[in-house]
Amino acid sequence: MRPSEFEYHKADSLEQALALLQEFGDEGRPIAGGQSLVPMMNLRLARPAHLVDINGLGLDTIEKKDGVIRIGALVRHERYLAEPLIIDNFPAFIDGVRAIGHPTIRRNGTIGGSLAHADPTAELPLLCMLHDGEIIAASAGGERRLPATRFFEGAYMTVLEAGEMIVAVELPVPPASSSGAFVEMAERRGDFAIAACGVTLEHARGRVTRAAVACSGAGQTAMRAPQLEEALEGLELAHPDAAAAIAAFTETLNPPDDHSASADYRRALVGQLTEQALATACSRAMEAS
Amino acid sequence: MTQQMDRPKHIGARIQRFEDTRLLAGTARYIDDIRLPNMLHLRFVRAQMAHAKVLEIDTEALEDIGFPTQVFTGADIGDLSIKAHQDYPEMQYSEQPLLARERVRFVGEAVAAVLADDAYQAEDAAEMVFVDYEPLQVVTTMDQARDPEVPGLFDGWRTNIFVERQMKGGDIAQAKAEAAHVIKRTYTTQRQAGVPMEGRGVAAEYDPASRMLTVWSSTQIPHLVRTYIAEELGLPESRLRVVAPDVGGGFGVKGQVFPEEVLVPWLAMKTGRPVKWVEDRREHLTSSIHARDHSHTLEAYVSEDGRLLGLKADISVDVGAYSTFPFTAAGDPGMAAKVMPGPYDFQHYEATFRALATNKCPIGTYRGVGRPSAVFAQERLMDDIANELGLDPIEFRLKNVVRDFPYTNALGFTYDPGSYAETLEKMRDLLAEDRAAAEASSNDPDKRIGVGLACFVEQTAHGTPDFTRRRVPIETGYIAARVEMTPDGQALVDIGLQNHGQGHETVMAQVAADALGIDPKDVHVRHGDTLTTPYSVGTWGSRGGALGGGAVHVAAGRIADKLKAIAGHLLQSDPQKIVLQNGIAHPEGQPDRHVAVAKLARTALRNVDQLPAGMEPGLEAQYSLDGPNDGTYSNAVHAAVVEIDTKTGKMQLKRFVVVEDCGTILNPLIVDGQVRGGVVQGIGSAMLEHFIYDEDGQPLTVTFADYLMPLATEIPEIELHHIETPTPLTPLGAKGLGEGGAIGPAAAIANAVADALGIEVTKTPLNANALWHLARQAEKNRAE
Repeated sequence: MRPSEFEYHKADSLEQALALLQEFGDEGRPIAGGQSLVPMMNLRLARPAHLVDINGLGLDTIEKKDGVIRIGALVRHERYLAEPLIIDNFPAFIDGVRAIGHPTIRRNGTIGGSLAHADPTAELPLLCMLHDGEIIAASAGGERRLPATRFFEGAYMTVLEAGEMIVAVELPVPPASSSGAFVEMAERRGDFAIAACGVTLEHARGRVTRAAVACSGAGQTAMRAPQLEEALEGLELAHPDAAAAIAAFTETLNPPDDHSASADYRRALVGQLTEQALATACSRAMEAS
Repeated sequence: MTQQMDRPKHIGARIQRFEDTRLLAGTARYIDDIRLPNMLHLRFVRAQMAHAKVLEIDTEALEDIGFPTQVFTGADIGDLSIKAHQDYPEMQYSEQPLLARERVRFVGEAVAAVLADDAYQAEDAAEMVFVDYEPLQVVTTMDQARDPEVPGLFDGWRTNIFVERQMKGGDIAQAKAEAAHVIKRTYTTQRQAGVPMEGRGVAAEYDPASRMLTVWSSTQIPHLVRTYIAEELGLPESRLRVVAPDVGGGFGVKGQVFPEEVLVPWLAMKTGRPVKWVEDRREHLTSSIHARDHSHTLEAYVSEDGRLLGLKADISVDVGAYSTFPFTAAGDPGMAAKVMPGPYDFQHYEATFRALATNKCPIGTYRGVGRPSAVFAQERLMDDIANELGLDPIEFRLKNVVRDFPYTNALGFTYDPGSYAETLEKMRDLLAEDRAAAEASSNDPDKRIGVGLACFVEQTAHGTPDFTRRRVPIETGYIAARVEMTPDGQALVDIGLQNHGQGHETVMAQVAADALGIDPKDVHVRHGDTLTTPYSVGTWGSRGGALGGGAVHVAAGRIADKLKAIAGHLLQSDPQKIVLQNGIAHPEGQPDRHVAVAKLARTALRNVDQLPAGMEPGLEAQYSLDGPNDGTYSNAVHAAVVEIDTKTGKMQLKRFVVVEDCGTILNPLIVDGQVRGGVVQGIGSAMLEHFIYDEDGQPLTVTFADYLMPLATEIPEIELHHIETPTPLTPLGAKGLGEGGAIGPAAAIANAVADALGIEVTKTPLNANALWHLARQAEKNRAE
C-alpha cells in the first residue's frame, strides 16, 4: 500500500501546470485534493511518474456570469453548502453534495478531481449531467468545452486526453420557476451509492414544462433519461404520479449484476429513487410557488 | 474455588481506563513504531492464483533495480511450517509452509519474502518478482469440498474434509419418536474477515552477545508464539523473548501463530540484521485469517405442548486451505456443535460436524468463534418453531430455558447459575411497545417494523479439560499473574494476558488495589512481554477478567496476608484482624491505630530487621489460575427493532437492547464498552461484512470500499441492562464477557427482519440487496 515512485512538481501558474502535463503526457497527473488519486496510487492501480500539484492555481471561485454558474476545478465539495449561488439555484445539487463521502472527503475533494476520476456512482458526475453542465478542459494547446453528457466513457474513463486537465465546470442557471431533488441509496452513509437519481423541473401553472432526469447505478456511468424527461412534461405538480413512465424507463435499463447487488434490485431501485426524487422536486416546486 | 471478595472498594467501580491516556494521546507504540538500526523491511510476494503449482520464481529483474535486495522462497526454508493437528485418527493433516513450496492453495498465500533497506523499496522489489503458475482445479464451495471426485488439496488426501466427527448425548431416536412436531431448517452465515484497526506486524532482532532473539509481534498470545518459534526453529526458549507492544485490536484474529511470526525471526537470524514486516490492509483482508462461513442444518423435535425434546444438527464450515494453530481447522465447527444446545433444557442431542478444505484464506478465531453462527441458527430456529406452532417467541423460549442450576446438558456440560428466564422476562418488558408497533406496521406495504431477539449462553474461561477433550494444540487455558510490591508501597502486576483493548491495565489494578488496600493508580500492570510476565495462554476465549482477575486476586491476597502479618507484628495486634484499606493497615474497628502500607512494604523489602522473627524478606507472589472444567456460562438476551423500507431494501436499526449477565462486574464502564464493541461487530456480521470469492477463488472484497465494516452512522444507541449472578467457580465471581456482544446481533437482527417481513430468514448478511429480495419473496408468498 505504498505508491510506486513518482516525482512531485508544484505548479505556480496554469500555464506552467499545462506545460508540465504536456511534457509528461501519459506519465503525468494533476493532483489537488487527492481523495481518489492517492488511494488509487497506494493500491498501485494508478502509477503516475509525475504529479503536478495544482492546488496553488486558484481555480477555486464560484461565479455567475451570462446565465451560467462557473465552478472552478479546485472548488472543494463542502463549499457548496455555504454558497448562495448554488443553494439558491440548484436544490438537487445541494442534496447530492450532502451525500458525498465523509467530512474529510468533502473538505479536500474537488469537483475537477471527482469528474476526472469518474466513479460510476459518484454524485458530481451525475449532478453535472443533470444540470446540463459543460466541463472545460485545458491543455497547452487550448481549451475544450465538453458537455457532461458526453464526458464519461465508462467506469473511471473520460474523454480527457493526456496533458489535459479540467479547469472549470459551467452550469446554466435554471429559470426562477424551477425545482429539483436528488436521492441516493448507499449501504452506509458516505459510501458510493448503489444507485442514485436526480430530477430537475421547470414548471408553470402547476405543471411541469421541462424535466431532466439523471441516474446512476444502472450502468458504467451516470445517464440521462430523455424519454422519461419527455413523458414528464405536463405532469401536475400536485399529483406527481409517473409510475408508468418510470417503469417504461427502468425496463430499458440493463444494470450490472454482481456480488453487491442484483440487476433486478438495481433496476427497481433506480425506479424507486426516481419516484422519490420526482416527488420531492414536485413538492419543493409547490412550496416555492 | 471460593474465597470471594467481602469488602470490595475498587472492584465494581466505574473507573475510567488508565491506558486510554496513552492511547488517546497518540503515545502508544505499535509494531510499526519500532525502528532498529540497520533494519531490513520485508514485503511478501503473495499468490495470485487460488490453487496452482509454482513452476518458477523469477527474480532476474531485481538485478537491475538499483538498490540491494534479498529474496527468500519456499526452497530456502526447508520444512518450516505451521502445523496445527488434532490428535484424532480421522483428521487429515495440512501443513502451511512459511513460504509456499511447489504449490499455492489460496490467493494471498506468501510465495516469496523480499527484503530491502526501506519499505518502499521492498514493495517496489516485490512487484518485480514474477511467479509462473500452472493452475490446478480450484475448490471454492462446500459441495466441491465434499465431492470425492475432486482432487485433494494435499497429497494423500481422500476428500477435502479436514475432519468430520460427532457429538451426542441422550437418545435422539427417542426424541424423534416422541415428537409431535419435527422442524427442519438450514441456516448459513457468511465468510468474514476479522479486521482489527491495526493489522498484523512482526519485527525481530538477534543479539549475538546475549544469544537472545527478540521478536515483536502484534499478537494476543506472546508466550504461545515464543514456544512455537522455539520449537519450529530449534531455539532454546530461555533465549527467546516475544513482545507484544501496544496492539491495535485483535478480536481473536491475533490469537493464532501465523507463518510470518516464525519466518521474520528466521530471516533476522539468516541475514544477521533486524527485519520488520508490517501488513497492509489488503494483505490483512486476504492473508491473515477469516471467520464464520458456516452452514447448519437443524432438526428440532418438539412436543405437542411446545417443549423441545431433542435437536439434531449437521454443521459444515468452509475453513479454507489450512488448519490454523492452536485451535485447528475443527475449532469453528466443533465449537458450533458443542454450544448448539444453548440455554435450553433438553436431553437428546446429536451433532455431526465437519471442517471442509477449500482454496480460501484459512478460518481462525474471531470474536465469538463458532457461537455467532450457532446462535444465529439456534435462535432463528426457535423463532421458526414458535411461528410454526403459533406460539409467542418469548413465551416459547421461557417454556424451554434452563431454570434449575447447576444444570448438566445433553453433552454432559454443567452450567453454573445464570439468569436465562430473568433476562428474557426483563427483555419482554423492555420490548412491549416496540412489539405493539411492529404488529401495527404489518399492514403498511412500504415501511415494516420488526422486533427480534436472541437468547444465548456463552461458555467462557473454560479450563484445561475442555481443551483436552478437543485434543487441540492449545492444550490448556490458564492465566498466571505475579504481583510484587515496591518499597514505596506501590505494586507491580505482571500478567500473562495481552491487553489490546480489554482494559486489563485498569481492571487488574482495581483487583490488586482491593486486596492490598492501596489506590488502583498505584498499581502498574505490565503484560505482553515474555521477559516480564509469567507463562500463560494469552488473551482469548473470554478469560481475561474471570481468570486473569482471579489470578491477580489470589496472588495479591498472598501479599496482603504477609502485609497483615507484618502489621500485626508492628501494631502488636492479631494479623487475622488486620484490615488493609486506603493505604493503611489497622486492626478492624480501630482505624486510628494504623501503619501505612508503604511502611509495611519498606519493612518487608528494606528494614527487614523489623520483620517478625524468621519471616522471609520480599513481597512477591505468583498464581496461575486455570478455568473451571466446563467453564463458566455467561448469558444474555439481545434484541433488535428494525424498520425496513420494502421498496429500497434500506433497513434502519431503530433500537438495539442487551440484557446480559456476566456474573460479578469488575468495572461497569469496561463491561459496557466490551458489550457495545461486540454488538457493533455483530451488527457488521448481520448486515454488512461479507468476504466474497468468485468461482476461481479470486477474492472480490480486498479493500474497505468493498468489504463493508459497520460505521458509527449505522449504529443506534445500544441500550444495556445488567443482571449479576456471580459464579461460584472463579475467585471474584466474574464470568467471561469479551465475546458475548458479538454473538447475539446476527440472530436478533435476522429475527427482527423475519418479524418485519413475515418471512423465514435463513442467511446473513442482511444488506440492502438481500432485504429487497426478501421483501419481494414475502410479497410473492402473501399473494399465493
